[in-house]
Parts: sequence; C-alpha cells; structure tokens
Amino acid sequence: MPERAELGVMNAIIFSALIGVVMMLGGIVIKSNAGIKLLAIILLFILLGSHLAEYYDLFNIHIQTHGMLAKSRFGMFFNTIIISLTLLYVLLSGDEIVKVGTYGAEYFALIFFSLCGATILSSYNNLLMLFLGVEIMTIPLFVLTSSEKKNLKSNEAGLKYFLMGSFSTGILLMGIALYYGGTGLFAIEASKAANEAQQAFRILLPLGLLFIFISLSFKVSAAPFHFWTPDVYDGAPSVFTSFMATIVKTAGFIAFIKLFELRSVDMGYSWKILLPLIIILTLLAGNITAVFQQSVKRMLAYSSIAHAGFMLFALYNPNDFGKQGIMLYTVAYSLATIGTFAVLTKMKDYTYEGYNGLAKTKPVLAATNTIFILSLAGIPLTAGFFAKYYMLASALKESTSNLWLVIVAVLFAAVSVYYYFRVIQAMYFKDGNAETTEIKPFFKTLLIIIAALIIVIGLMPSLLLDLFYA
Amino acid sequence: MAITEIIFWFLSALAVISAIMVVLSKSPVHSVLWLIAVFFAISGHYVLLNAQFIAIVNIIVYAGAIMVLFLFVLMLMNLNKETEPQKNLWMKLTGVVSGGCLLIILISLVRQATEIKGKIAVTKTGDIGLIKVLGKELFSSYVVPFEISSVLFLSAMIGAVVIGKKD
Amino acid sequence: MLSLETITNNINNWLNNHVSSTWATIIEMLIVGLLVIGLFAMLGLILVLMERKVSAFMQIRVGPNRVGFKGSLQTLADTLKLVLKEGLTPKGADKFLFNLAPYVVMCAAMLILAPIAFAKNFQIWDINIGVLYISAISSISVIGILMAGWASNNKYSLLGAMRSGAQIVSYELSAGFSVLCIVILTGSLQISDIINAQQNGWFIFKGHIPAIISFIIFIIAVTAETNRAPFDLAEAESELTAGFHTEYSGMKFALFFLAEYVNIFVVCAIGAILFFGGWMPLHIGNWQGFNQVMDYIPSSLWFILKVFGLIFLIMWFRWTFPRLRVDQLLNLEWKYLLPLSLVNLLLMTVVAIMGWHF
Repeated sequence: MPERAELGVMNAIIFSALIGVVMMLGGIVIKSNAGIKLLAIILLFILLGSHLAEYYDLFNIHIQTHGMLAKSRFGMFFNTIIISLTLLYVLLSGDEIVKVGTYGAEYFALIFFSLCGATILSSYNNLLMLFLGVEIMTIPLFVLTSSEKKNLKSNEAGLKYFLMGSFSTGILLMGIALYYGGTGLFAIEASKAANEAQQAFRILLPLGLLFIFISLSFKVSAAPFHFWTPDVYDGAPSVFTSFMATIVKTAGFIAFIKLFELRSVDMGYSWKILLPLIIILTLLAGNITAVFQQSVKRMLAYSSIAHAGFMLFALYNPNDFGKQGIMLYTVAYSLATIGTFAVLTKMKDYTYEGYNGLAKTKPVLAATNTIFILSLAGIPLTAGFFAKYYMLASALKESTSNLWLVIVAVLFAAVSVYYYFRVIQAMYFKDGNAETTEIKPFFKTLLIIIAALIIVIGLMPSLLLDLFYA
Repeated sequence: MAITEIIFWFLSALAVISAIMVVLSKSPVHSVLWLIAVFFAISGHYVLLNAQFIAIVNIIVYAGAIMVLFLFVLMLMNLNKETEPQKNLWMKLTGVVSGGCLLIILISLVRQATEIKGKIAVTKTGDIGLIKVLGKELFSSYVVPFEISSVLFLSAMIGAVVIGKKD
Repeated sequence: MLSLETITNNINNWLNNHVSSTWATIIEMLIVGLLVIGLFAMLGLILVLMERKVSAFMQIRVGPNRVGFKGSLQTLADTLKLVLKEGLTPKGADKFLFNLAPYVVMCAAMLILAPIAFAKNFQIWDINIGVLYISAISSISVIGILMAGWASNNKYSLLGAMRSGAQIVSYELSAGFSVLCIVILTGSLQISDIINAQQNGWFIFKGHIPAIISFIIFIIAVTAETNRAPFDLAEAESELTAGFHTEYSGMKFALFFLAEYVNIFVVCAIGAILFFGGWMPLHIGNWQGFNQVMDYIPSSLWFILKVFGLIFLIMWFRWTFPRLRVDQLLNLEWKYLLPLSLVNLLLMTVVAIMGWHF
C-alpha cells in the first residue's frame, strides 16, 4: 500500500512527545514521588496502547510526511520492544529515578523525550530525521547523566558526554552535508534521477557515509570511539546508566542498520575493511578492559562496549537474518542489563566485594542476577545465547570467509565469561555480608518475571521472532 | 572584472585568511573574533548567491548569538596566552598527521571530481535562499522535521532548567 | 518637483551614461559612504546639543548658552577638544582590539542605516528582509562592546561590557517580537513594503491594541539596547566609573559617544518606520482631501519629525526615571516583557487572521 507509507506517522513518535509534555506539566500539580511514578507508568501504558493500536491498525494519526518517515514492520516491532522495555524499566526502577534529585517529573519527561528520539530513529527515511532523532535521543541524556548535582563524578560525566556528543554530532552533520553533496538528496533511499544529476559530485558520497558511520559509532560506543562510555556510564546515576546502556544504545543500532542496509554498497571496498576492523577493536577494547575492573558498574560499562561489538555483526547481513538477530539481541541484552542494573542500584557497594555473600542475605536477588549475568555472557538456555548465535550466524550467512571473524568473536565471548562469573563467584562462593537498600516484594516479583522471560526466550526464540512476522 | 567577481575574490580571501587565523591565534578571544570574521565573509557569499535570508540568519545565529556567548565565557574565564596549556610534542604530531590525512582525502576527492573544475557559482540569480521560497518549503516538504525539532528544543529547555536551577 | 528621489535617479543615470557600470557602482558606493559619514557628524552635533538642552529643560535650567547662538556651537567646541586630546592606550591592554573596538561599534551603527528609508524611494539598500537585517546587525555592536571591555584590561570595563552584552542580548528578544507583530500585519520583511502598507493609516492606529502594546515594548527594549538611562547599568558612573569605555580617551572615546547617539537615531528611525509609517505622511483612510494636503509636506520632513519626536521621548525617559538594578533589569525582561510580548504576538496573530484591524 504505497499511500500508507507516504502518510504513515507513527503514533509512538507523537504520543511519546506528548506524554513527555504531560509528564512535565504533571510535575507542577503532583508533588509526591509515588504520584509522579504512578503518572509515568500510566502515561507509558497509554503510549504502549496507542502504539499497539497502530500496530494492529486500529487507530492511526495520519500526517503527510513527504517521505521523511517510513513505516516498516521492522521499525514498528522495534518500537514495541523499546516501549515495553521502558515500561519494564520504569516499573522496576521508578522509585530510584525520583530519588535521584528534586525533579522527578522532569526526569521522566526527559526519558520520554529520549524515547521519542529512539522511535524516530526506528522510522526515519531521511537524514534530517536521523539527525533530529539522534539529537532528541541524546540531549536529554546529557541532562540525566549530570542530574546528581552534588556528585562531582556525575557532573564530570555529564560534561564529558555533552562534549563528546556534540563533537560527534558535528561529524554527523559534516557527513550529512557530504552525503547531500554526493547525491543531492537527504533521503536515504537512492533516487535514480537525482543520483545521475549529481554524478560529478558522487565521489563525496563514500566520504559522507564514512563520517556518518564514525558519528554513529560514537553514539553506540564502538571502538575506537568508545572512550567516553566507561566514564559516562560510571559517573551517571545508576538508574540512568541502565536506560542509556539499553534502550538508547539499541536505538542507535537500529539507526545504523536502517542507513547501511541501503547504503553500505556505496562505500565500496572500504566497507569490507572498516566493519571487521571496528568489530574486532570493539570486542578487544570492551572485553579486555572489562577484565581489569574492580567495580561491577564499570565492568558493565565495558561489557556494554563488548556487546556493541556483537551487535555490529548485524550490519553484515542487515536484510533478514541480521534484523532478526538485532531484535533478539535488543530484547536479550536489554532485559538482562535492566535487570543487573536494577540489582546494582540496590547495592550499597558497587565493587565485586560488595556482592560477597549476596546469595545468603538476598537469595532471590542473587538467583535472578545470576540468570541476567549468564544471559549477558551468552550461556545456552538463556536469551543471550541465541542473540549471539543469530549475530554470528548472520555474518556466516553473508559469506563463509567471515569464519575467522566469528572465531575471534567466540574467543572474546569466552573471555567475557571470566569477568561475568566473578560476580556469580562473589555472590555464591565468597563470605561476606552484602548490604542492600530496602527491597519490596513487587521488585522481587518483577525480577523473577524478567528472569523467566530471559529463560523462555532462551529456550524458544521463535516465540519472539514469530511476533516479528505476525 | 565585474564588481561581483571582485567582491567574490575579496570575500573568499577574507574567509580563508580569517579561518587560518582562527587556528593560528594564540589567544582564544582573538580566535573567536577571527571566527566572526569568517562568518561575515560567508554571509557575504550568501548575499552574492542571492540568499539574503540565509546570510542574515547566519549572522544572527552565529555571529550574533553563539559567538557572543563564546566571548562571554572566554572573557569571564579570562583565558589568554599565559593560561593556554602546553601540549606535548607527540600530541601535536598526531594532530598534524591525522589532520593531514583528512586533508589528503579531501584534496584527492576534489582532484577526482574533474567536472567541478572551471565552474563558478551563479550569482545574483535563483530564489532558493529567499525567505518566501524557504518558508513555503519549510512548511510543506520539511514540515515534519520542522515540527519535530520543537521536541528537541523543549527537551533542551527542560534540561537547562533541571541542571541550572538551585536545589 | 525637486525631491531626493529625483536627485539620486539623476546621479545614477549620469554615472551610468559616462562610466562603466562597475565604476558607477564604486562611485555610488563612495558617495553613499560620504553621505553616511556626513550624516553621522551632523547627528552627533545635533543630538548631543539636543540632549543637553532637553535635560536643561527638564531640570529647569538654561543649558549650554555661551558658544555660538544660544550655545548652538557647544558640541562643535567639545568635539574639537576631544580631537585634540591624546588618545591613551593603557598598559597591559590588547592594543589591536583596544583600537579596533570603537570602529567595530561605529561600523555596526553605519551598517544598520542601509535599509532605512529616509524619504520616499530614498534608501541605500532595500533588502527583502530589511527588518531581520536590522536585528542581525544590531547584535553585532555587542561584539564591539565586549571587545572594548575585554581589551581594556580593566575590571570596570569588563564588568560594564558584560552587563551591556547581557542587556542587549536579552532585550533583543522583546524588540524582535514587537517587530514581528508589525511583520504579521504586513506579511513582508521589506522596509519599503512595510511603509507602503501604511498608505491608509499608520500601524499604530491600524493595529490598535496589540500595536500599541508592541510599540511600548519596543520603546522600552530599544532604550535598554542602546544602554541609555534608566537602563544605563553598563556605564553606571556610581559603580563602574564609565563601564566599557572607562579607559578610552580622545577621539576613540568620541567614537563610542557618537555611536551611542547614532544608535538612538537608528532605533528611533526603525520605530518610526514600523509604527508611524516612516516617511509616509499622516493619512486617514481614503479621505482624499486630507491626504492630499498632507502629501504637500515633503516625505523627508515627515521622517525627520517622527524620528526626532521619538528621540525626544527617549531623552525624556533618561532625565525622569531612576536607574534600575541589574536584577531588576533582567527580571523586567525575562519575567515581564518577554511573556508579554509573546502573548501580544499571539494576540496580533489572532487580530490579523480575523481581520480585526483597519
């Protein structure tokens, strides 16, 4: 249905921006933290409802987008995932969010705006929208990172993130300008007439794409552009790190895939060198440095770099297998990360020693955390295993000559087992008295649900992937 | 030479020299002032291309707003030659090498694009940069990005309040 | 009939007939430059004298009355004194910027004159976004002031420059919004279009309530933008000696002084163009008889009269209101004027859409 594609504007974009405004204004009326959290949850349910209504063709706002946005099943499914994940995240850590500072309602509003940016990234069809999406997604994060005003580390992280982020945005804009010079278009789809008219300047296109590639690598923290990640993830309040490392990061990959599934051809031979290079560097930087960390939070930051390396495999074969894989990876990685960070925020001490003996004092926390960590490590029977499997398989499907790269990735996955298992070791095999803050039964129930989800998806990934094609 | 050509060469020379001076100036305040000169020269080019609106917006936004903020901050911090950190030689060297690589790529690109050679911009014609055309374009083809950018500004504003307000 | 329009047209024709078009343009540029400089000198002489006379009138004194007829040559004498004085450059100052700053401020003031229509069809450059051009260039003078303040290497200068910068940047918003109100009525940013749209009545009458509100906001904002009392915190004598030009002396001081008065003239000219029809004579609807009588008064005279009326208003403010504090100044802008001008813009839009104007 061509005219649908022309008219489709995602409810998710409009509603996520609207609920951000409602949330902000709600903060004027509602003063209690519990009320703010409740409002945020209600609004997220409204967002999810409106999005599902569009997904099942029940209710849809029609706006002429002039080809700025394109509706695709892939994007819609991704939106469903990230909205659900945000909902889960707010249910799980809503109490911690309002506790960060005095502006509970504003934090939620910023999270919703960031979500709006992520939904734009899943549906953009034009580089202008890519730019806006990236900016809308990251600008609230600069604020959230530095929201813990009395903590000097948080301030430093915010400033660092802001400087790095604006620098990479500059590169993105440069790339978009060169892309425009090369094709005469902002649209990501190649239009033949326009391309022929711009033959003289076509040489600018690969350079533009390279710049965009670099900038997006910044945003998803792929090496060698990952240096901001540990400091920012470490300095930011843990609740917001959890949001940054999951929803925002995966949205960055969606943006990546949307552009480069169409345009990687234009980069020619350099693409074939660039991608494996970046993947190996990312895996190396993430996994090796994670081994030496003493703080679990910092270890998770490095491990998220390592996961970025795996997610980059999706770019090899973004048409079919890779897309399924990135969906699976998004769900598996985000669920596990949200879970581990939820446990982390409850801990008094973020070092490995802080986890000593958690199994004795809080068995439920320790057990669920074990499942999350196993999933992050990619152990079979958890969702993380199939996520990694799909990623590596997509590279092999593209060409068997990628075998060496897959072997390298598997080796690095084995390295990751070492630092992940240190947490499990601390929880179960070391004596100590792990101190946590007060834990509500509801929190435990949610953790169990997430752990169950991870195992269910790990046993039957087709449950999720069938939804993709349903 | 026609008057537009003279102006073109004058503005180009001004832009390039000022841009070089931005980098070479030791004092950050001088750099900012040279940068303002670059913006003015570029605005002059826009006027030559009959894009008055873009020229003026360039001045309002960059020379008038952003650079004034830069000046404010620099002057309040009172940065000058003495306070400039001494960079070590290796850092300088890597900077030169990586910048030089980019330069080589750009030069080779321009050399390959032979069709560009010998072409000059058409001045005083075209209505792309006029406010009426821009306005229509902005509110028809580009209305979605235009409206969505409001979300960006709103979130930035909320962010400024969240960070800036006293607890 | 001999008018400024015919004179300029004749010169243009003569030049194009006798020399190549490139040279004609260059010569015309030179003539315009000379005229602008001449205008500046004249304005300086007249406005300074006017200020002193007005202040004397407000305070019931005589004012300058020795040099020339009733003191009319007083400013000339003062200028002579300033020219003869030694221009000092303080030790530790950034010499280049210190000497450049007054010229930047002057150049900014000169550039704003470009789109202003002094009489019917007598305009340097009728750029199609004239109003925006004015607001763009007026923001440039901030740079000159900041330069002067910083290069002086003096804390009073720096503080004065900072205050001045903050003030200009803040009040520019309100001024811009009140200008936009008029742009909504016209639908054009071009100065000549704005003036021609006032053929059957000035905008202050045609736009009634929102136009009057925006005129008041405009006058307040431009008074602040030109750093004049009651908004002269940037050079508050009791606190900052003389603000950003503390260290300046001789001719460079005179340039700052002159630029201040030229800026007053310029903003009043813009006010006259936007709200009082510029050179457009007082017309009442389509009342032919009355309109024709008014047309007999030359357009340049109308313009000068309106501008000087507004200048008198601004001088009146200076000598009757006490100075604001910094916090009061910023509160006034950000908490009162800006919301008010936003609401007013909305009101004007409604008025324009519904056609509730004349």
